[in-house]
Amino acid sequence: MVNKRAGTDPDELLRQLGALATALGPAVRPGGTQELLRSLTETARQLFGAAACSLALLSEDDSELVYTIASGEGGADVTGMRISSSAGIAGWVVQSGQPIAVSDLASDPRFSPEVAEQTGYVPQAILAVPVETPHRMLGVISLLDRDARRPGAEQDMALLSLFADQAALALASVDTFSDLGRVLLAALAEAAAGEDLVAALRRAAGQLPPADADLAALAAAFASVARHGAAERRLAVAVLRHIGDYLQGRPPRTR
Amino acid sequence: MPRIGLAIDKDWAWGGASGAGITVAVVDSGVDPAHPAIGAVDRAIALQWDRETQSVTTAEGPHEDLFGHGTACAGIIRRAAPDATLWSVRVLGSRLTGKGVVFAAGVRWAIAQGARVVNLSLSTGKEEYFGLFHEIADEAAFAGVVLVCASNNVPAPTYPAQFSSVISVAAHDGQDPFVLDANPAPPVDFGAPGIDVEVPWLSGASIVATGNSFAAPHVTGLVARMLSKHPRLTPYEVKTVLRAVASNAVPSNPVEDNAVSRRASDDD
Repeated sequence: MVNKRAGTDPDELLRQLGALATALGPAVRPGGTQELLRSLTETARQLFGAAACSLALLSEDDSELVYTIASGEGGADVTGMRISSSAGIAGWVVQSGQPIAVSDLASDPRFSPEVAEQTGYVPQAILAVPVETPHRMLGVISLLDRDARRPGAEQDMALLSLFADQAALALASVDTFSDLGRVLLAALAEAAAGEDLVAALRRAAGQLPPADADLAALAAAFASVARHGAAERRLAVAVLRHIGDYLQGRPPRTR
Repeated sequence: MPRIGLAIDKDWAWGGASGAGITVAVVDSGVDPAHPAIGAVDRAIALQWDRETQSVTTAEGPHEDLFGHGTACAGIIRRAAPDATLWSVRVLGSRLTGKGVVFAAGVRWAIAQGARVVNLSLSTGKEEYFGLFHEIADEAAFAGVVLVCASNNVPAPTYPAQFSSVISVAAHDGQDPFVLDANPAPPVDFGAPGIDVEVPWLSGASIVATGNSFAAPHVTGLVARMLSKHPRLTPYEVKTVLRAVASNAVPSNPVEDNAVSRRASDDD
């Protein structure tokens, strides 16, 4: 049997780098995201005097909502449950991007009966808000049977939307770190020697989705500047910081 | 809220009108024409994203409401404009992939086919759609089509509610469908009933619901009513009239109203 050393076969090396990239993201991303989200839903549940609070995230192909975190009534049973993103109140929220509250769910003939059946808890009222970043719809936070008679309850929709923003920030940060390995892969293509390896790495970088390709291009450009020396690296960092400072003071836009 | 010196009141704006002759497109999850609160739906089209061809496909013909929300919006519009012509443009319900493009194609279809008012109780916060929806908002304004959009609950941009040429609506806690508030701080233009409002839903039922998405169709209905009486108004004039009849902008004393008008013309 020929023991082919990694590094002599570009495809084998690429496979290993891909595996490393997959492992790298989770290794370096901030820990405790699940705990943070759990604490967030539990805090919301208590603050709003609700029977239950849950976070459901869209599946990879957006066809389903997966209940990731849930606290309160039926919480243990609802966790891991999947429902179609094309039906029900939660489905409407991720589809329309709009929050909604319904106070007499019994009147809605199609209110996720499967959810109620599986959890054994039949809510009267729901408040559901979208969880989204400027780039992607991520899911929905739902509060069941909140205490709507508390002072200030008329602000609940706006307040829960702020909780949703926090959840989106935490989830987006996890995503960034998960992509870190692939960004590195693209940067390596710029720094690598050997035509086959460069071509193979570039193939991998070329398969990245557009948003990641931008990041990859940034990393690659940085690597190409860095090859010139330490002074050039410091210059690149300084320029990037100035751009960052400028962008901080400017309203967001797309182009 | 500073007053503007226009001799315009609700009676001038829509008194005696019913929305007759005005086409309103509900871009949403479909509209159930069998619901007793809806009445006739003159045209129905369903748009969705075809993953194989990577394009938007359209199917014209009767369809059901997949969530109940489009029916709710249509019912609210019917209350203010019982004789308006209703179109259902279904853009929600299939997968989320390509959703922004489908949503945009639905609005464009309504504009091209001659709707005068388009109700958009949905929005996208995705930055990549900023340009596309800006273009559509302009197309609508230039074609004299009024886009009425549900605004956001959080201080982040959402499209197309963010743009100045559309009418952006949030929920206020009143229940009178003919009362609106003007908002002095953009991008939200008006407050309309949207808290605990009873709305038609699926299977002929009704529910009590809350959200900006229920406030927008109140304004859509009023705009249809206004346009049936004053069909030549442009979207900017429609907005001005709504501003003039807003409850927090109209003086209750007609004498004071005249005084304001005089002062305003003296300033010119």
